[in-house]
Amino acid sequence: MREDQFWLLVSCKLSGEATADELAALDRFLRDHPEMAARLDPLSEWWSHPNSSSPALKKGALQRHLRRLNKSDDHPSRTPRRRRLFLFAAGIAASIAAVFLFINQWPQKKATPPVAQNSVSTKPGSKSKIQLPDGSQVWLNSDSRITYSESFRGAGREVHLCGEAYFDVVKDRNHPFIIHTSTIDVLVLGTALNVRSYSNEKNTEAVLIHGSVQVSLRNNPDKKIILRPNDKLVVQNGSKVSLAGAGRTAPKEPDTARIISLGKAHFKEKDSVATEVLWVKNKLAFDQESLEAVALKMERWFNVKVTITEPALQHTEYSGVFEDETLPQVMEALRMTGNFHYTIRRREVMIRP
Amino acid sequence: MKAYKRLYELLSEGLYRYSYSMVRNAEVAEEIVSDVFIKVWQIRARLSEVDNLRVYVYTIARNFSLNYLARNADNRVIGLNSPEAGELAGGNSPAELCISADLANQMKRIVQQLPPQCRTIFRLVREEGLKYKEVAAILELSPNTVRNQLAIAIQKLGEAPLLKDILSTFGTYEG
Repeated sequence: MREDQFWLLVSCKLSGEATADELAALDRFLRDHPEMAARLDPLSEWWSHPNSSSPALKKGALQRHLRRLNKSDDHPSRTPRRRRLFLFAAGIAASIAAVFLFINQWPQKKATPPVAQNSVSTKPGSKSKIQLPDGSQVWLNSDSRITYSESFRGAGREVHLCGEAYFDVVKDRNHPFIIHTSTIDVLVLGTALNVRSYSNEKNTEAVLIHGSVQVSLRNNPDKKIILRPNDKLVVQNGSKVSLAGAGRTAPKEPDTARIISLGKAHFKEKDSVATEVLWVKNKLAFDQESLEAVALKMERWFNVKVTITEPALQHTEYSGVFEDETLPQVMEALRMTGNFHYTIRRREVMIRP
Repeated sequence: MKAYKRLYELLSEGLYRYSYSMVRNAEVAEEIVSDVFIKVWQIRARLSEVDNLRVYVYTIARNFSLNYLARNADNRVIGLNSPEAGELAGGNSPAELCISADLANQMKRIVQQLPPQCRTIFRLVREEGLKYKEVAAILELSPNTVRNQLAIAIQKLGEAPLLKDILSTFGTYEG
């Protein structure tokens, strides 16, 4: 028997993966070569006692892990339950017609006395999920803030959003749910929708997933747009933007917001979820977006600063969906389809031609 | 939750050893293990769909460890930080094992001097008890490669000088 064959048999035997034939062949050999058998005994002995001195987890690791798990458990990962919610919401969509009743009762001025306000905000690089006093769920994307009165008493349920959030609103015909952003107000009635209104972006977007909502422009409240499921409304943010809080009146100076487009939400083939909402499932998605927009998204997602040195690079468009990829992996994927080079140093990304 | 904790208890040590062997940093290795288990939690409703859980978690641990290494290539301190010396110091107690401390140390040194992939394969098979197929899946190799690499490692160990010269090594050892 050749030497390497011998050791192959030995290793298979030690690891428990030797076939019966292999074991028999090895046995025969060892009977004829007892000096090798003598060598193997201590080796086998040593083999079967690993780990006495290997690096080990410090005590309390499980507790530390559970604490971390709790903190990260804000991500919506229970897909099955969400689908059930969708079906439920879809089933009652027919009764949404009642929303028209509220057009006449739309409050023009928020003259209500100040109430206790709750505010939840997220930093770049993190997301959050909260439940509102009425049971509605809100997923808050990075670098966003949502403010609402502590109790949802009064004529309606009102929240103020700066950033991006996905709303799953409990149906309550008697209490219209209103999302205020600096550019648009959205009236909802038991529905699921995504609203994106970052102050450092050009546009505000609202994508309706289920139900029906009515959107009005803050600078022109008479202009109302009804959204149907999968509708996506894009409104340009004005140069003068301010957020009116409950108890304060709406801004006096009209800003120059105007509608850009009313289209459809985008679906990639594989996902049954619109691209605009993939972030709720912890996926970073770009949908034919300029490098400029991609950079902004990545700044929030990874909590980094992205600089594009050559303005001409900004207009190239990118599409993609990333789930667990790290910043370097995403940058590499973009670089391969794009026309730039990049460097990453600590929390800064430089993109150059 | 009880099952999840049990999973952690069963798998965390092995994952920690594996991750530590790559990142060489106790805090980072523990964090990687935690990240792996966060992932496990996130997909817990679909765990039954996972073919082989051990392969799954070791693969994730490998990816996270590789990511860490890629991210920290600039900052990694080579050489002095590596605790090989520390590992040598703590040895298997010879009385338990019926082999001498010298031999145990020699074996340890041989393992540490194995080529990196060979060493990883060796550790995964011996310390974590993974099968060739599982190691192959985690490391993206063929099972044959795993088999051959392990044989190379065992041969090197089997030819340790102290082993070859066993009569003088094992004073009172009864063969």
